[in-house]
Amino acid sequence: MTSSGPAPGSVTLPRASAPPRRSLLVLLVLLVAALALAPLVALIGFSGLLSHPLQARLGSAGGEQLANTLLLLIGVGLAGAVLGTTNGWLTASCHFPGRRWLRIAQLLPLATPTYLLAATAIDLGSRFSWRLHGPGWAALVLTLGTYSYVFLLSTESFAVSGRRHLEACRSLGVGPWGSFLRVALPMALPAIGAGVALSGMEVVNELGAVELLGVPTLSGGILQRWQNDGDPQGAAALALIALLIVSLLVAAERLLRRRSRRWSVGGGGDIPPRWQLAGWRALLAQLLTLLPPLLSLGLPLVWALISRDQLQSESFGELAGLALRSLGLGLGGAALTLAGGLLLAVARRWLPDPALQRLTFIAGMGYAVPGAVLALALMLVGSPLQLPPLLLLVWGYGDRFLAVSKQGLDAALERLPPSIDEAATGLGCGWLAVLRRVHLPLLRGPLLVGALLVFVDVVKELPLTFALRPFDFDTLSVRVYQYASDERVGAALIPALLILALGLAAALALVPSLERGEPRPPTS
Amino acid sequence: MNQLPHGIPLARLLAPLMAVLAASTALTGCKGGREAGSIGVYSARHYNTDKALYRRFTEQTGIRVNLLEGKDNALIERLSREGSTSPADVLVLVDAARIGKASQQGLFQPVRSAALERDVPAHLRDPGGRWYGLTRRVRLIVLNPAKINAAIPVRTYADLADPRLKGQLCLRNSLSVYNQSLVADQLIQHGPASTATWVKGMVANLGQSLFSSDIPLVRAVARGDCGVALVNSYYVARMRSGDAGAEDQQLTAGLRVILPDPAHVNISGAGVTRHARNPRAATRLIEFLASPSGGRGYAEANHEYPLRGFGENSVLKSFGPFRDDGVSIQAMGERNQEAIRLMQQNGWQ
Repeated sequence: MTSSGPAPGSVTLPRASAPPRRSLLVLLVLLVAALALAPLVALIGFSGLLSHPLQARLGSAGGEQLANTLLLLIGVGLAGAVLGTTNGWLTASCHFPGRRWLRIAQLLPLATPTYLLAATAIDLGSRFSWRLHGPGWAALVLTLGTYSYVFLLSTESFAVSGRRHLEACRSLGVGPWGSFLRVALPMALPAIGAGVALSGMEVVNELGAVELLGVPTLSGGILQRWQNDGDPQGAAALALIALLIVSLLVAAERLLRRRSRRWSVGGGGDIPPRWQLAGWRALLAQLLTLLPPLLSLGLPLVWALISRDQLQSESFGELAGLALRSLGLGLGGAALTLAGGLLLAVARRWLPDPALQRLTFIAGMGYAVPGAVLALALMLVGSPLQLPPLLLLVWGYGDRFLAVSKQGLDAALERLPPSIDEAATGLGCGWLAVLRRVHLPLLRGPLLVGALLVFVDVVKELPLTFALRPFDFDTLSVRVYQYASDERVGAALIPALLILALGLAAALALVPSLERGEPRPPTS
Repeated sequence: MNQLPHGIPLARLLAPLMAVLAASTALTGCKGGREAGSIGVYSARHYNTDKALYRRFTEQTGIRVNLLEGKDNALIERLSREGSTSPADVLVLVDAARIGKASQQGLFQPVRSAALERDVPAHLRDPGGRWYGLTRRVRLIVLNPAKINAAIPVRTYADLADPRLKGQLCLRNSLSVYNQSLVADQLIQHGPASTATWVKGMVANLGQSLFSSDIPLVRAVARGDCGVALVNSYYVARMRSGDAGAEDQQLTAGLRVILPDPAHVNISGAGVTRHARNPRAATRLIEFLASPSGGRGYAEANHEYPLRGFGENSVLKSFGPFRDDGVSIQAMGERNQEAIRLMQQNGWQ
């Protein structure tokens, strides 16, 4: 960095702390990375993989699990990218009746736990002699459960960045399709890539739904080998393959982002109105945006409707306790994870050292490890230290979801031209001051989106919560899973609807900021 | 300037968060200290009726029960990682294989109790007193009389390999620990060669790909999509009783429920953990759960069989009596890995 003194004759500017304290940033990055990586290192050490690498075998079962995981990745990735981007564009840049509500509704699928979706779908099917079974159904359920990642990140990009470019399109006579394909889509590619990468990691990690649908995948194989076969080396070998897949996903996303690097400072000023859709086009837009939330909310609701006699509720006090614990964990997890993610994302911008760059990249790898395995890893680290279970649990959330918060922030930071930082540092700001006075205000949208994603993820998170929570500390998702795994869908439904309600409340709280800088209503 | 330009002061964002976290911890009775009269229970059973039973225990004895319910394997792992610092005094697990695994890992301590030796039949407890069975469940056969010719006898597990049932049999996959224990049970009774032949015969009879849960399997038989299937007793009983809704009750009314003779019996059971801080109170809880009065509460609400006899549950009574094959739970646990290998080698994936 060039920290030259004020040029002769220049205006004297207020200066933050004189030498920018990057050593603090390096220290913080090392701390976050150490926390994130400690369980993974413990895991590799425990597996004995390093001392007996030859004992690890993929085996025929491993081959099938790998093939299924790849199949799901491709299917869900493609379907999610198309659905998420389409709905992101439609609700951000077009106008049709019901758009506002349908935009919020896109978040519903995110708050529906996939295992509940799978359980209700299978249960409903079995009443009509439909066997819901196999990779096709699994891909459908997972697409429904994860396309919102793509939607959220892309729509934020469509809504905030590059409106000016669209205005240029209009003045040059480029229509809605042209403006989408030639301008908005390329600009949103980093965000779409980030969303697809996130949903891909979720797929690699998925356990409950795929098991219910009878699709053996890597994450199930890892647990099976470790816990049932007593073969930690084999488990670690599979886990490393999962890790490799996720690294490839993230690397591909980065490459995509680098190739489409364009900067925009974001909204502000007079924003042009949306494309007005009418007739069959409006209808199609409504259908496309309605169908996924309708399915993910509708399946449990239809189930509830035709099995009213089975709905069982716990006492209000019990439900309130469950909800409050979920809420507390969600908020705590989101705050912690976001702080860590922001730190790593910012560090990538300030610290050009390749080793540190790589470290910020690897630190997000906790997301690639199936939750149940991460839980075991955390026990390896936490038990000797006698850490309280709640602390271990929040550590787990941070580790698991660091990538979720970081991914969106990385993409958003890359849209900010470096000239901003240069200007700020030229005015004497250190990284902390730039963060506080420049980056944070500009990153408000992505930060809130990240917070929402992590919040919802934590509230519906299962394996970590299940394995690490203290005595008498059930949460909504724990209760849902306990009932669902015992095939008591009727009792699982009310806590599941509360998860949805929490997710929706968080989403609604976000709306004002997502819709900030709304274009003026179209004049018709 | 502590306030961001867009009007979100950081402190204001963080304050409610901290409040909620504090409130949620306070609400849960997550206490650091340990009362003299309390025990920690890790349980892989998760039925609301269990909690009522623990409350009854507390009322009777004044011993408070701190409960953590989880999945068997996760609880085993947690207990073994926590070692001597574990807050758990009692570990409750479901299925022979998992109990055997916990026992092999040295997670239990031997307990001698006249009451337990009286209430728990010998083959349903560890000879060394490390764990005791609490409830029984039977892997039974459900059959759709409209689909299966009455001339084909279906009375034992072996009958399911009868080639005349080709295309009629439906099974859960080999991930189901209940199926693993059934195969271990057959291994012990009939030896590897004949068990392998039996598994191959059943796989050849499969009419549909393997299921991953019991209730859809029962429905498939009831609707005639499958002719015959192997399921756990409490799922069928739950559906028959109307607990799973009127629709399932009607649907399963026409099913024939066959308790194979002799029947493979599995258990849920409990032991005092190796590093229990309050082993006496822990033993009292297990005694309470195994006693005919306490055990009834554990078993009946979930449609399980008590340790002796067939209980008072009307649906289970309607299934009729069964003859327990008497295979020791401990032996089944020991043969679990062998059973899994045998299943996979013979096409039961």
